[in-house]
Amino acid sequence: MILRILNLIVVGVLILAAAYVYRIKFDSTVQAERLAKIRGEIRRERDAIAGLRAKWGELDNPARIEALAKRFLPLKPIESTQYSSLDQLPERPPELVQPGSQDPIGAFLEDSEASPAATGSVVGAERPPARTNTSGGAGASR
Amino acid sequence: MIAFVRNAMKRPLPSWREIARGLFYGVATDRTAKARARVGLAILFFTVTYCVIALRLVMFAALPDNRIAHRGGSGDAMATARPDILDRNGEVLATDVRVPSLFAEPRRLIDADEAVELLTADLPDLDAPELRERLGSRRGFVWLKRDLTAEQQRQIYRQGLPGIGFLNENKRVYPNGPEVSHVIGHVNIDNQGIAGMEKWLDGNGLAALHMAGLATDRLQTPVQLAVDLRVQHALHDELAASHVKYKTLAAAGVVLDVRTGEIVAMVSEPDYDPNNPHQALDPTRINRLTTGVFEMGSTFKAFTFAMALDSGKVTLKSSFDAHGPMQVGRFQIHDFEPENRMLSVPECFTLSSNICAARTALSMGVEAHKAFLKKLGQLDRLRTELPESAEPIVPRHWGELNTITIAFGHGLSVAPLQAVMGVAALMNGGLLIPPTFLKRTQAEADALATRVIKPETSEMMRYLMRLNVEKGTARRAEIPGYYIGGKTGTADKVVNGHYSKNSVLTDFMAVIPADKPRYLLLIMLDDPKVLPETHGFKTSGWNAVPVGGAVVARIAPLLGIEPRMDLPSADHLMLVSARESR
Repeated sequence: MILRILNLIVVGVLILAAAYVYRIKFDSTVQAERLAKIRGEIRRERDAIAGLRAKWGELDNPARIEALAKRFLPLKPIESTQYSSLDQLPERPPELVQPGSQDPIGAFLEDSEASPAATGSVVGAERPPARTNTSGGAGASR
Repeated sequence: MIAFVRNAMKRPLPSWREIARGLFYGVATDRTAKARARVGLAILFFTVTYCVIALRLVMFAALPDNRIAHRGGSGDAMATARPDILDRNGEVLATDVRVPSLFAEPRRLIDADEAVELLTADLPDLDAPELRERLGSRRGFVWLKRDLTAEQQRQIYRQGLPGIGFLNENKRVYPNGPEVSHVIGHVNIDNQGIAGMEKWLDGNGLAALHMAGLATDRLQTPVQLAVDLRVQHALHDELAASHVKYKTLAAAGVVLDVRTGEIVAMVSEPDYDPNNPHQALDPTRINRLTTGVFEMGSTFKAFTFAMALDSGKVTLKSSFDAHGPMQVGRFQIHDFEPENRMLSVPECFTLSSNICAARTALSMGVEAHKAFLKKLGQLDRLRTELPESAEPIVPRHWGELNTITIAFGHGLSVAPLQAVMGVAALMNGGLLIPPTFLKRTQAEADALATRVIKPETSEMMRYLMRLNVEKGTARRAEIPGYYIGGKTGTADKVVNGHYSKNSVLTDFMAVIPADKPRYLLLIMLDDPKVLPETHGFKTSGWNAVPVGGAVVARIAPLLGIEPRMDLPSADHLMLVSARESR
């Protein structure tokens, strides 16, 4: 009796195992099909990329760019005398307004003791005051 | 029990059957044991059978399905993929593109005439009678047209002709056209390299890969060259301009990294379009820098003076008699601009005195001269990655006269790239580094380098080169800020076995910058003509030198050389350090 039950269990396990293996096999076939398809797509994409790279190389060719630049741009080749290094730059001029001050226009007015301000609002704390219009220095700043 | 009795009874008279049975079971075995053994045998047999079946099933399940794996690859023709060739910044110099090609299977065609009509409608450049003849044949397979555009393929595909199909083939494409032609070379219709670096690729294992049919995919790693496409373009452009301006037969140029031996640019005009390789068969389009040998003229004086200074017997303060002409046997040596006085070594160099160079070489002796040039690789064939190379033409009997003429660059023909390698060794501190077209690191270059002259000699040579630009024959190459040093050379061309009076070969070697050398530039013009602005001269200083200056002005920013203004003259900057280091 016990032997018969064992037999039945074994047969059941066998059927389950067979079904499971079948499913795995089926899945793997589907996956393999997908893999092959993706491989084909990758190959096509890679070929397309190579084609586009070749095309880009052609369009990016210095000779072509130079011809276009000569025709359409006012640029000229740079001369060696046009280079400059950072340490050749002159010193930065002293700030009229302390950076970070809360009231740049007020500070400026105090400093210069110039004509009374006629502006309506303060636009941004970092911006220097529009002194050219008020203090009559328009000619110098142009 | 009965069997036992029977056995016991038969024991005195064993028959042959009993002996046979005894072999399997033993004579005294009873029947139950026999039966059990038979059952065991059967169990074993079935177990093995089922094991085999199970194993086979596992194998079927586990191994990949070949049918699926191969489905994607159909429609691709032969395995002839090549790796991409890139320049040193990763720009594409050569790449593979898949192009569809049209074929037909005439046996499967239903109506050949209809096919001809439809195909010629889509591809007007197909020859109709030839097409009809091909399709009318009973062959299994004929190519109709290679290299279709995508649009053409779509149109033909839409007609749905039976027996007409497409195969994808790899086609080599050179997007930069003629600019790098002599460096990369080209391939034939079957995608095999037949010149330049393409041929080198085949020689380095690619051909074997093709034979084995393995080179189907694009996964091969690209090959990176030392060439910089931008520098190459600038050099190409300037040489093409000089080709027109001075009406030269040919023009060539090289830019070499003196510290690593990398060839950053190499142009030989006239060149060809590798996309259209039959131009390459024209003998005027050879690569003059590696396949041609030339008498380099006065640039060889750099070797002469380097030898003298390196020996220690001659210093920068030594002087030589330059009264001319110098009589050697039947020959007379002239200077181009005779000075007829004693000249110091720097004067000899900057005035480019032939007599002075000849006397310097003679003072060293013939054997020493020969040995020095041998050491600098000027007497042996220079081999690079390029398959084409030319052997220098060395005089068979090297006597005093040969030493005299070779001292100023006549009588010994070398490949210009070879001379560039030698001069680079004089500039970079005295290390001879074989030039290469592949990218190379400083460490790799150091491993290959051999010391040929002392570092102090190299410093003195750089001083002479710089002095020559400041007040010598190479004045027209001065570009402020780049501290160019250079040596000019003008050689009479050999025409029909005699030196021609009318046509010359001019060259110019420039080192940038002269105090800390990084690049060596060679400009070589073949037969430049006299122009109004050259005042009747066609020596190097009037054509190759200004071209060299223009090239330096264009390439120095690309090579990352920063212009430095207000540098002192060579006398102050370099002579002092040369003295101090001595």
